[in-house]
Amino acid sequence: MILQLLAGNLIHGLLLGGVYGLATMGLSLIFGVMNVVNVGHGAFIMVGAFITLTLFSVLGISPVLAIPVALLMGMALGFFFFYTVMRRLIKAPELASLLATFAIGILLEEVVKLIFGADFRGYNWGLGKIVLPITVIPLSKIYAFIGSIVIALFLYFWFSKTRLGTAVRAVVEDSEGARVCGVNVGWIYALSFAIGIGLTVMSGVMLTMFIPVGINPYMGGVYTLKAFVIAVLGGLSSPYGAFFAGLIFGLIENGAYVLFAQIPGVAPFPLTVSLAFWMLFFLLLIKPTGLLGKK
Amino acid sequence: MVKYYPLIPVLAIYLVMFLIGFYIEGMWQMVALLAFYCALGQSWNIFMGMTGYVDFGYVTFIALGTYGMALGISYTHQYEWLGIGIIFIGLILALFLASLSALLESFIALRLRGAYFAIACIGINEGLKHFIEGARIWGGSDGIIFYGALIQAFGRETSNHLTAFWADFAVFIIAALAAILNIYYMRSKIGYALTAVREDEDAAKVMGINTTKYKTIAFLTSGLLGAAVGAFAWGVKLAHVYPGDVFVIHYTIECIVVVLLGGAGTLLGPVVGGLVYGLSKYWLAVVLPGFQLLVFAPIIIIIIVVFPEGIIGFVKQKTKSTPLARYII
Amino acid sequence: MALLKLENITKTFGGLMALNDVSLEIEHGELIAIVGPNGAGKTTLFNIISGVYRPDKGKIIFEERDITRMPAYKRAPLGFGRTFQIPRPFNSATVRENVAVGAMFGSLAGKVSVDDSLEIADRYIELVGLEAHKDKEAGSLTPVEKKMMEMARALAMKPKLLLMDEAMAGMHPKDIDEMVRFLKKIKEKENIAVVSMVEHVMRAVVGLAERVMVMHQGSKLVDAKTEEALTEPRVIEVYLGRPPDESK
Repeated sequence: MILQLLAGNLIHGLLLGGVYGLATMGLSLIFGVMNVVNVGHGAFIMVGAFITLTLFSVLGISPVLAIPVALLMGMALGFFFFYTVMRRLIKAPELASLLATFAIGILLEEVVKLIFGADFRGYNWGLGKIVLPITVIPLSKIYAFIGSIVIALFLYFWFSKTRLGTAVRAVVEDSEGARVCGVNVGWIYALSFAIGIGLTVMSGVMLTMFIPVGINPYMGGVYTLKAFVIAVLGGLSSPYGAFFAGLIFGLIENGAYVLFAQIPGVAPFPLTVSLAFWMLFFLLLIKPTGLLGKK
Repeated sequence: MVKYYPLIPVLAIYLVMFLIGFYIEGMWQMVALLAFYCALGQSWNIFMGMTGYVDFGYVTFIALGTYGMALGISYTHQYEWLGIGIIFIGLILALFLASLSALLESFIALRLRGAYFAIACIGINEGLKHFIEGARIWGGSDGIIFYGALIQAFGRETSNHLTAFWADFAVFIIAALAAILNIYYMRSKIGYALTAVREDEDAAKVMGINTTKYKTIAFLTSGLLGAAVGAFAWGVKLAHVYPGDVFVIHYTIECIVVVLLGGAGTLLGPVVGGLVYGLSKYWLAVVLPGFQLLVFAPIIIIIIVVFPEGIIGFVKQKTKSTPLARYII
Repeated sequence: MALLKLENITKTFGGLMALNDVSLEIEHGELIAIVGPNGAGKTTLFNIISGVYRPDKGKIIFEERDITRMPAYKRAPLGFGRTFQIPRPFNSATVRENVAVGAMFGSLAGKVSVDDSLEIADRYIELVGLEAHKDKEAGSLTPVEKKMMEMARALAMKPKLLLMDEAMAGMHPKDIDEMVRFLKKIKEKENIAVVSMVEHVMRAVVGLAERVMVMHQGSKLVDAKTEEALTEPRVIEVYLGRPPDESK
């Protein structure tokens, strides 16, 4: 019985893990290129969720079509914040960029709250579901998973097969070297930040396909934290590492939930959330130097 | 003694605030709020201002301080002979919980730098919050409500006094103590070591500075002061604690704004920052209720981008080589 | 008794051999130049001596004490001073405070108060000729002033061994002569052993060192009296860029 429950949850975990992976790739890309941790990461996921919600419930547009809209709006936000704020902070102490991204996150939350209010919202796509012997999977979750994988693959090919993608990789490896080789590093920073934000906003669309409820201006915080755990798990500056780490994280999270639910007298949901942070703690404890590597 | 002259303006500001609150009708709540921000700013400054590390999880200490007080009072209020002693038991528990977490954190988190440190600190805060809720310890998400315990121990009138006056008074004392510790550290080897850590940690090690030791000293001091503020300003004053109310990273951000606004790493900065922030928050709550953050977020960004040295950093530059300079750091 | 003894030090980074079985003995008050082209392993050697890296193999003995595993911050109080290739001042602190940090945490650590340290700092600031800039922020100094400030900071540590990383790179020949004279004076006055690392300012080497160790690709090539070392064919080969096997 419990094994069946566990197996069912692991399937959901794997699907959610794909979305988590996508939701972390932007964070890793921005860190890899600019050495900036986007502490306001979750707020951009929230923006994606609101784009989906608005398109669907106001204009009746399918969440699938929200994906390109989210990418474009995300990149626009990325360019905007890069040229107004981040560009000036690349050479500043780490403190500055950490605080600035945090403040950007708050700004987004408050603007969204101003427009939509702080209520919890949701939508009902009603796509139908697949019934397996061990669990029932809504089709929208499968769409989200496939969508995430397709986007991750796109990014992979963009990185490895295009000139621009190669230039980004060069900047990740050694920004000074890339500059000497004629790469316009300033433009690569701007573009990577915009793509990173674009990916993150898109992942917000996927997340609402997966969990179409609980959409509110402050929903991002918990995803920021999960993304940190996943990014550290994946090596922090590697977007692909982040994607696979996302899959692993989804599996662990859903698996642990089932197990915690067996313990009497505890609240399994918050306990599962806290598990993520114990994992983070442990990871940083066993491998702090390895993770600090990039110099 | 000249070394300690910069304490004069700080303590004078606290005294004036206290007198205004005490003698002018209806002002006490406002000066208490200001003292709260000044105390937190100064406590936070000891670690972050001096080392340049960003501790997003600072609120963990304030929260644990609140829990310490709550646990102390709710477990000991039935022993009548303890009298006012139960508040001290609460304070000791608050400091104990905070130092436990500071030592655990410094063992792990202080070995990390920059972004990793910031991430680890957020992780600890959220991990602890969800663990308390998940494992249902200390009342889980239902928290601890101990106003009843206070009344049982002291009677209604004394309890009212405690929550409405003495809790805030304690915050004033902590703010003054934090100022003294700030300048003491700045003027001693600790301050020199921490400046070296902030500017170039690897070079500091080669110069013979045990960076871990000095960072831990600053972290612990800063955390204990934060816990004391939590124990009184949230604990005694509100007489309840819920994990969802106290482990909230936005409070850390408030500390950061206070310190940056006034000038990180200075003595007077967090005080001036606390006053400016507290007053504008108070005022915004009246004219634009619910939108303080909407106003503050762009302010943070503007400070970071164009005004990173803060108000006192700016004043310091202007008063350099004037007689005023010896009073301002 | 040697002041510092390196025994068969080996250090690799990834697959790259940065130091290969290097041994070296330094006497009290000796002036040694470590010479070698970029990538010869000089900086790695300095980092091993000052404790930034641990060697993979080999031993470091300082005044008959094994310090191979000792962290950097514990070595400084024993009598190590160091300057960096690119100066690393504590930018937001004043010159005086920077130098005082040296006095506070160097070999006088625990014996001097903050005020004493500031006084000691004043002495060394005068010695290097930066009195006029004493209360300036270190970050606002010119590159040469920063080098002199680092020198004062290292000397304020009262070291027995001073490690100078490319102290004269990028300096004007006139400044180099002055630096050399300054170092000789210091050495005589305070009996400090100076290990100076240079890439190619041979003029400075001649002026300064009593002994030269030439490094090439992580190994010790030559370790001899200065005059001998400079006429050694292998040294000339390294410097003229001829591959070493051509002479065979």
